[in-house]
Amino acid sequence: MFSQLLAGFRAEAPVLAGSAAVVLFMVGMAYALGFRAKRLLNEAELARLAEAEGASLEGAVIAPDKRAAFARLGNGKLMVARVMGDDVSARIAPAAAMRVAVTQGRLHAVFADLGFPPLHMKLEETPPWLAELAQGGR
Amino acid sequence: MAEPPFEIPPIITYAVPGFVLLIVLEMLYIRVFKRGGRYETKDAATSLAMGLGNRVFGIAFGGAAVLVYYWVYQFRLFDLGWTWPVLAACFFAEDLAYYWFHRVAHERRWFWASHVVHHSSQHYNLTTALRQTWTGTLGLSFIFWLPLLWIGFPPLMVLMFSAISLVYQFWIHTETIGRMGPLEWVMNTPSHHRVHHATNPKYLDANYAGVLIIWDRLFGTFVPEDEEKPAYGIVSQLGTFNPFRVAFHEWIGIWRDVTRAKSLKDALGFMFGPPGWSPDGSRKTSASLKAEWAARQAATAPAE
Repeated sequence: MFSQLLAGFRAEAPVLAGSAAVVLFMVGMAYALGFRAKRLLNEAELARLAEAEGASLEGAVIAPDKRAAFARLGNGKLMVARVMGDDVSARIAPAAAMRVAVTQGRLHAVFADLGFPPLHMKLEETPPWLAELAQGGR
Repeated sequence: MAEPPFEIPPIITYAVPGFVLLIVLEMLYIRVFKRGGRYETKDAATSLAMGLGNRVFGIAFGGAAVLVYYWVYQFRLFDLGWTWPVLAACFFAEDLAYYWFHRVAHERRWFWASHVVHHSSQHYNLTTALRQTWTGTLGLSFIFWLPLLWIGFPPLMVLMFSAISLVYQFWIHTETIGRMGPLEWVMNTPSHHRVHHATNPKYLDANYAGVLIIWDRLFGTFVPEDEEKPAYGIVSQLGTFNPFRVAFHEWIGIWRDVTRAKSLKDALGFMFGPPGWSPDGSRKTSASLKAEWAARQAATAPAE
């Protein structure tokens, strides 16, 4: 069985190698054509994302490179936003579904839902609401 | 007669140069004319890596599905040979099987865990077509085609039309093409498929067609694209370009939910309920999102 599998991969190796080369070519082409992320986060963008969820923005911290942010919403939920290419990906969850910690000037937010990657973000300052949230362990 | 009277070419392999050419042309079109969609290097790289991984997993596990096809074919009801009427019937039957596979893949979390990969990009361009699952065969997606084998369509004929359907569906992943006139009545088109990839509540769970849009019109899942611009991706955006997280996140989520379930009923709900199902209803499903949207629409509609 294993030897058959290996033989299958050996037979397909040239096609796979060719496909990998083509993938590299197309990624290189996208890069060369300048398709690189330009989107940056700001409070207005975060407020828009919160509003889409039917909530208001109560407080927010934005990473120094403006490509990630963490916010507290009026409905008690927390929001993590990330620049994804030319778009923004936001995940909103109840505080109970997230573990928040601040250590050595960095924010760490981990979701109970593994689908969304944890946020590790440098902070320029730690607002009181965030410090309180982190001390609560939630 | 199970074997074809002619040699079936490796349809997808033959189509790859066309895929590459069209992707390059689409990139150039968007760059030059500054319209017709968006590209982003990391997003495209992830989509293409998923396509390559799909091929690797296909070599490793795809044979299992073919074996099951031949096994079921032993119990066929009719001996349908390679004749023109059978070929025509198989085209429609395969497309109908695809419709139901695709619909269930959106409505049941077990199958969604594989299919979510294809919807995980927040961009919509030809590379999105290649953002394919690694776990389709392992997740038993092929079972939706088994009735065709049982009826008596030859396995290679079914595989041939599956490949043709896959190749057809490549070009509809684009924003460079608008509406296509009368073709929109019968065929799945870029416009119809943009709706399918959209996360706007009004567009959710619609347009499951492979080649022919008639199935959606027939089964009540057709939604036309209107002036509301589609927002692409999934309801809970993934927030990563990591191909491994893209490939396996929903399976890990199922595992986590099932191992923490308080009863067998809950465990089955987490596996086979709609994506977003939870025992207490605290998570969002397509149905709940659509209901919220409808309620908002009703609240903001001017009184008559």
